[in-house]
Amino acid sequence: MSEQVFLLPDVGEGLVEAEIVAWKVNVGDVVTLNQPLVDIETAKATVELPSPYAGTVVTLHGNVGDVMEVHKPLITFEVGGVASSATTVAADAPPISTPSVEKREAVLVGYGVTNEEGVATRTRRRQGTSARVIPPTSSAPVAATAPRSTPPVRLYAKQHGLDIATLTGTGRDGLVTRHDVDQALSGAPATSPVRVVAVPTGPTSTSRFVGRDLEPWATGPKEERFAVKGVLRSMADAMTQSAFSAPHAAVWMRVDVTRTMELLTSLKGRPALGATKLSPLTIVALAFCDAARHYPGINSSFDAANGEVVVRRRVNLGIAADTPRGLIVPNIKDADQLDLVAMAQAQAVLVEKARAGTTTPNEMIGTTLTITNVGPFGVDAAMPILPPGTGAILAVGRFAKAPWVVDDEVVVRYVTELAMSFDHRQVDGALASRVLAHVARFLEDPAAALLVG
Amino acid sequence: MATQTMTMAKALNEGLRAAMEKNKKVLIMGEDVGKLGGVFRITDGLQKDFGEDRVIDAPLAESAIVGTAVGLAIRGYRTVCEIQFDGFVYPAFDQIVSQVAKLRKRSDGVYTMGLVIRIPFQGGIGAIEHHSESPEAYFAHTAGLRVVSCSTPNDAYWMIQQSIEHDDPIIFCEPKSRYWEKGEVNLDQPPNGLFDAVVRREGTDVTVVGYGSTVKTALRAADTAAQEGLSLEVIDARSLAPLDLETMAASLTKTGRLVVVQEAPHTASVGSEIVAALSERCFYSLRAPGVRVSGYHVPYPPTRIEEDYRPSVDRVLDAVDRVMGFDS
Repeated sequence: MSEQVFLLPDVGEGLVEAEIVAWKVNVGDVVTLNQPLVDIETAKATVELPSPYAGTVVTLHGNVGDVMEVHKPLITFEVGGVASSATTVAADAPPISTPSVEKREAVLVGYGVTNEEGVATRTRRRQGTSARVIPPTSSAPVAATAPRSTPPVRLYAKQHGLDIATLTGTGRDGLVTRHDVDQALSGAPATSPVRVVAVPTGPTSTSRFVGRDLEPWATGPKEERFAVKGVLRSMADAMTQSAFSAPHAAVWMRVDVTRTMELLTSLKGRPALGATKLSPLTIVALAFCDAARHYPGINSSFDAANGEVVVRRRVNLGIAADTPRGLIVPNIKDADQLDLVAMAQAQAVLVEKARAGTTTPNEMIGTTLTITNVGPFGVDAAMPILPPGTGAILAVGRFAKAPWVVDDEVVVRYVTELAMSFDHRQVDGALASRVLAHVARFLEDPAAALLVG
Repeated sequence: MATQTMTMAKALNEGLRAAMEKNKKVLIMGEDVGKLGGVFRITDGLQKDFGEDRVIDAPLAESAIVGTAVGLAIRGYRTVCEIQFDGFVYPAFDQIVSQVAKLRKRSDGVYTMGLVIRIPFQGGIGAIEHHSESPEAYFAHTAGLRVVSCSTPNDAYWMIQQSIEHDDPIIFCEPKSRYWEKGEVNLDQPPNGLFDAVVRREGTDVTVVGYGSTVKTALRAADTAAQEGLSLEVIDARSLAPLDLETMAASLTKTGRLVVVQEAPHTASVGSEIVAALSERCFYSLRAPGVRVSGYHVPYPPTRIEEDYRPSVDRVLDAVDRVMGFDS
């Protein structure tokens, strides 16, 4: 006599569980082979299970209404005579016995799914050498992001025994570069892992660029792009055209402008001026025009298309103006015809219209000579690029006190620096030098120059 | 918060039921979906409750099932097509690629293709040929289709509803080996957007991305790895087209190491796309090349050796060792 456990079978189409609907036998009953034992309900149907044994019922492993798992005990029998070879029987006992198949759980379709409960253990040896040990990195402090680098640099650092996480990247966005590894290898302090960098916040005010307010360094985006249009495009086109067509050359000199300053002081507040204000630039403009009258060749342009040089006996004097929209260069028409007061008034009108943005296109074409005044920015000189189609452009630096030699004595005088770029295709160095020297003489003694007219 | 524990199969059934109750234009069509309730019982009881006009037993003709759904979609119906098994979707491939994916574009937006094609995919149930394939890459590759896959009962319940509500055609891949695994379903609100990837387990050493059946494989590998002192971050991709690269990149920037686990063969696969896209995005953070753990480049094998074909915990751990070995 022996006990046999009847496991709930998968009734043919793959199931995980079944509910006991009705027992047809009781404990102690003697059953025959294939006698109906129980009605079970599955997801598919209600099925009557026949007995695989002849024997006595010892245990019913569930009550009516219980949901039983497939392949778990349903009934235990006591059987006489020769026991079947297995101590447990299920109707669909798998015919093959590889480990993976034995682990399968019955499902609706197919032979079943493999059991995936509990923690899996490796069933295969690690690949590679058995000596290799993987360091448990999770116990180490973990950076919010992996150090950024390229694979070749990582290999390079590894080959030299450096942990790349300890390096301070100096490349773009903190990229650890080959140079950083080299620095670390040479012991340079820049790559010390304990280096603390105090990040300056920078100014918080905006600044002007291409006719707009730029965000402060600290709070603005890391990179910004602006469309090239409007005033910016005009400037870019004009400068590109000029720089790559007119061969530029320049002459410059320092000038004692003390008498110019004295003249301006002596004329200040005179009733004849009315509301007109005089500035050093007014005198410079008169001087430049006077130079053109003496050396008309400077008031010229190079007409490459027609193979001609054009000389004009009228000066349209361009004034480079820093406006809210950017750099524009309107001109004073027939500036050579203007006296001191008229020149001052014309300049005032020009600057006002430029700042207000009411300069008309007509006021920006036909320039023959140009003045750019960099003095207000506190610099001494500039090397300007010609507006296209003009012969020369004069840059005027700041008017500042400086040591100056007068009669072999060093004295304090107002001094400025003049720099003039010219189109070397038609203007040569000799002419340019004469023109600039003429301007300088004018500024050194403006009263005499005005007297001469 | 109302929660209920149920199997993924039941969750899909409940999700379909909820969608049908909410919108009378939701239909179900497929082979044996009505009277039988589907071979996996996903549509069990729905024909009884919603009638033969809404839960339609179709002939064994996948092309006709999807083609009919195209016409219904034009008329505003939302049909959930059941493809009985992954390997049977190919007769419908022409309808899916030539019509379903393109009609919205072709009609300049006049028609939408609000339909769902449910495909029980991946293997692991000991089934015969044609019953265990992973065809998701064919569809992810096709512009105009969206491809998603659930890995938990909660996702199954919500993603099927979100898919039905979506105006674009959704290829809904169900990991058939996980149909009978139970999990908690929150009946009140969806856990995520339909196309979001989700971090299933946080970790610091390696990012392991899976979808469908392989999410659990990855999680089990993470358990084992933890005992060995390694910390795996497991991401459930959920959406295969589009891919939620942001979530994956955020993880990879942290770990610097990537393993993708899929049952599909890795040649031109979704896993390949994930590795390629993340390599581009996270190049400077990578500590090792991205590694794919996939099915082999052979037809799906017979049942007796299918567990040697499908990515196992062992194979995931081998891949983890590989990516850990590059800079250790």
